[in-house]
Amino acid sequence: MARRTFKRARDGTLVVTLYAAEVELLVMTARDMMTIVEEPPDGEVRDRLYPRAYLDPTEEKAQGEYDALVHDDLVRSRSAALDAVVGGLDAATPNRRGLIEVELRPEEEMQWLTAVNDARLVIGTALGVSEDTDTEYARDDPRFEYGVLYAWLTQLHFELVTLMLGEIGEAGSDDVGNVTGDDSGNRPDHGGT
Amino acid sequence: MSAPDIQEITVPDTVEELLGREDARPGVPWVVIVWNDPVNTFAYVIFVFQKLFGYSRAKASRLTNQVHFEGRAVVASGAREKCEADVARLHGFGLWATMQKDD
Repeated sequence: MARRTFKRARDGTLVVTLYAAEVELLVMTARDMMTIVEEPPDGEVRDRLYPRAYLDPTEEKAQGEYDALVHDDLVRSRSAALDAVVGGLDAATPNRRGLIEVELRPEEEMQWLTAVNDARLVIGTALGVSEDTDTEYARDDPRFEYGVLYAWLTQLHFELVTLMLGEIGEAGSDDVGNVTGDDSGNRPDHGGT
Repeated sequence: MSAPDIQEITVPDTVEELLGREDARPGVPWVVIVWNDPVNTFAYVIFVFQKLFGYSRAKASRLTNQVHFEGRAVVASGAREKCEADVARLHGFGLWATMQKDD
């Protein structure tokens, strides 16, 4: 696949290039996600989007305070990220080659990253993906379409993360020197930390 | 090995002891734990650790490997309020993070 979805322009702007069908799929997914991040269904999806901060049941009061302090902000930032994705795509029109190009503002870059990841979290959790299985279901499997969507979002996400990892570089704090032989970069990276 | 840091030998032992005493600290230390999950990718988790905590690629990779192979890793520590803020930011990035007293 020669075309890159995410490309850093010479002036520093991150440019997203998508086919019209991809835009349609992404907008549809983001719109569905807006409902889910605001009112997630009880159970695994909600627990995955909004996990407890405290596992210790004796910290119930602290957990309540954490929720009171954090939950609405988390919902807002997730909604804002989805809005940024939809807003940018809605405003764009295809070029002569049928491609849609969107230039992201700096603050929108992380919003795209987290919005796509949130969609992967929700769909991956609903599909019950594990680290040892892929999402290529049989065509007559009810999970087939979401499996394809998940794989596509994973590909998008991988491209964006790869670009951002390259840009953030190697340097940083606490450079402990015991990682000789680390091979995490060579592992197939379709999911699962 | 280089020569001992000059600060190490000029700080009086009593000060070190005082700072190390539980009741001399502003509060019980807490740790932030990230748990393994089947959706978040290696590359993404490494990126988040670098972005949020300013860790080097080497440290972020080591922690991510620990999350994957041991099921969890302590990624940050400190006072309760600081850890709550870290957990909230990790939740914002979709990582499964919790916090507990550093027993």
